[in-house]
Amino acid sequence: MSLPTIPRVPSARLLSSLLLHQQRRLLLPSIAPLSAPTRLIHAEYRRPGKPKENRWRKVNIDFSKGVEGIKKNFTLLKNEFFDRWVGPEGKPILEHMLEQNRVVWEFRGPESLEHWTLSSDREVGGQSEVYLKLGRNSNTCFLYGTLNSTPPRDGETRYSGYCTMRSKQPLASFDRKKHHDWSSFNTLHLRVRGDGRPWMINLATETYFSHQKDDIYSYFLYTRGGPYWQDVKIPFSKFFLSYRGRIHDTQHPLLVDKVNSIGFTLGDKADGPFQLEIDFIGVCKDYAHTEECAYEMYKRNPEV
Amino acid sequence: MKCARCLLQLQGLRLVGQSASSAAQYGTLLQSASSTQLNFLHNTQHQVLRRFHGSPACAKSRPVRAEVINEDNKKSDGSLVTYDNLFEQVTKEAKTKATFIKVVNVFLKRDVRRRGHVEFIYAALKKMPEFGVERDLEVYNKLLDVFPKEVFVPVNFVQRMFNHYPRQQECGVQILEQMENYGIMPNIETKVLLVQIFGLKGHPMRKYQRIMYWFPKFKHINPFPIPQQLPEDPVDLARLSLTRIANDRDAKVTVYQLPCTDITESGEQITLPHVIGIQSPSQMELLAKHNPSKPVFVEGPFPLWLRKTCVYYYILRADPTPPDEKVEEPYDPERCFFYPLQLDLDLDRDLGEEESFDVEDLDEGPVFAMCMTSREDEATLNQWISGLQQNNPILGQVPTLFRLDARPKELQGAADTESGHHHQRPDPETQREERQTEKEIVEDEPPRRSQGMKQ
Repeated sequence: MSLPTIPRVPSARLLSSLLLHQQRRLLLPSIAPLSAPTRLIHAEYRRPGKPKENRWRKVNIDFSKGVEGIKKNFTLLKNEFFDRWVGPEGKPILEHMLEQNRVVWEFRGPESLEHWTLSSDREVGGQSEVYLKLGRNSNTCFLYGTLNSTPPRDGETRYSGYCTMRSKQPLASFDRKKHHDWSSFNTLHLRVRGDGRPWMINLATETYFSHQKDDIYSYFLYTRGGPYWQDVKIPFSKFFLSYRGRIHDTQHPLLVDKVNSIGFTLGDKADGPFQLEIDFIGVCKDYAHTEECAYEMYKRNPEV
Repeated sequence: MKCARCLLQLQGLRLVGQSASSAAQYGTLLQSASSTQLNFLHNTQHQVLRRFHGSPACAKSRPVRAEVINEDNKKSDGSLVTYDNLFEQVTKEAKTKATFIKVVNVFLKRDVRRRGHVEFIYAALKKMPEFGVERDLEVYNKLLDVFPKEVFVPVNFVQRMFNHYPRQQECGVQILEQMENYGIMPNIETKVLLVQIFGLKGHPMRKYQRIMYWFPKFKHINPFPIPQQLPEDPVDLARLSLTRIANDRDAKVTVYQLPCTDITESGEQITLPHVIGIQSPSQMELLAKHNPSKPVFVEGPFPLWLRKTCVYYYILRADPTPPDEKVEEPYDPERCFFYPLQLDLDLDRDLGEEESFDVEDLDEGPVFAMCMTSREDEATLNQWISGLQQNNPILGQVPTLFRLDARPKELQGAADTESGHHHQRPDPETQREERQTEKEIVEDEPPRRSQGMKQ
């Protein structure tokens, strides 16, 4: 039994992958076109009514780019090869086994901003803006912009007004997908300074089936506002599963061994400027936290 | 259609004839054969008879009074008229909950079969914010009441399988979705209505179950809760927001000036803005320890969002002390008797016991006080500083710089001392004057002077 119409609340993930691709085309030196993962291009969301883009127009073949690409990829390959002699993931095995805290994202220079993709409802025709820059002291990132929740007048979008920042998928040599392995941790720790707005943290994991592509584990980030930094600790068991903006009926604990990206979304229907400063994002192991999943996992939707 | 009408008119007359005893009444009815009266009778009969043939004259535009329902204005041109008309007619009166419910009642009384209820409900959902009833559960229950009961309940498993009455189910789901958007928790009446209308196994019921599962889970997860009703008074609002950002329960709020409107002798109206500041004892200690040769900055305005309102606050802060000037104060052992604050043990700690993150500690300098005011200019902030000076005499010796911005920006850091020097250049000699509050008022022009300001 499926309802005929689903209200359009486009997922940030689809749109950020669109922006990711655009960014890759415009800003990052693209490696030889064949190595750009074709799966990403297919995954872009094309709004009904928009003309289909010719994929081959975007391809930019240039010798210097090719050389840069080769250098980068072979360096990565070399590192991967020699890192294994040091230990798993390039760290000595004792450190890998015993680490309690790991800083995953830091903002210590302009190159750290390259790891993040921004997206807002401009992609679907809205008017929100979002920008990212380094904060003062070059030690933090400053995400700011304006939120505007007037829906675009295209007859199908009913709600609008969101801004997101999403980390890019980590890539190994030759653009192979790499995942964050947080199996020895159970809490996400952030240090943020917001302006009192409620944000949402989204974690995307690697899935097997293509239907699960837009599975996102989310939780809320309530900022206090004010001049003081706020330490936020969220155990992974609290993240609930949602798909394309709708919370899922059957919940299961977040699988931490193949995390692809983290994202921050703002969509609190309050029009106006916003800002969020992030100092660092890390994961830690909280021994006192033994919960696996904060939501009931028994079958709650028996067949009709 | 016309014949059916005539038939029913006759039927109506007959019924009236049976019920009314006097022949005179019958006579008058026959004589006064004006269409309005007949139609009026007609209408009363509608409530009694169930009509299966022909539809009642659906007047698309009606006056709002529920007492007299005229069926005159039958549109013969057959144009498509939306149900917004009903709501628009009420715009001449005040848009309140009572008028909204009145419009819904008009619709309810119009037809026992509630034809066009789906469009009516969609129009009503759209108009709710205008009438100010979008957070009112009673109104949502009233809207759900518009659905005819027991018609859409599936009777057997085939109907249950095949999405029985999909349009109505979608409409029901949309009512619940608007409730969910505004964060309104449904109550038992909603559930009873949903069961009566859609049965236990429809999409609206499922949505209701989901709302009832997830809403209680997420109702209290905000560690810094904001009351639903923010105080109207700006002083109270400022007090609430300052205690929120102070991060210290010992912080004391001081009202330096209450808002008032004065009329001077010349007849001018002077409005005094409110000035409210907050400072905690630890902040006072930090300020007392501050080096008088280093300036303190008044920065702002910074935004603070409380649900849908944005308020602005200013802070008084100083640059962090450079590492060579840092003095390590020993812990006072009498501060805490329950456990030692400082342990000097020589234990070997393993990697597995390393509990802090490997990040450099961000030192952005101490914050000494915060304030909120309605008028954002130096004169008002000067008032704040002078008010602060009563409790912190060191402010008399320390040069105070004003780093105000027309637009809110982020806190400046220690690395930005260049702009700090820039500001100090206008008046470097007078910094050392004691017992005199120095206020060098320098305004930031956003793109030019300071580096890296928000564009």
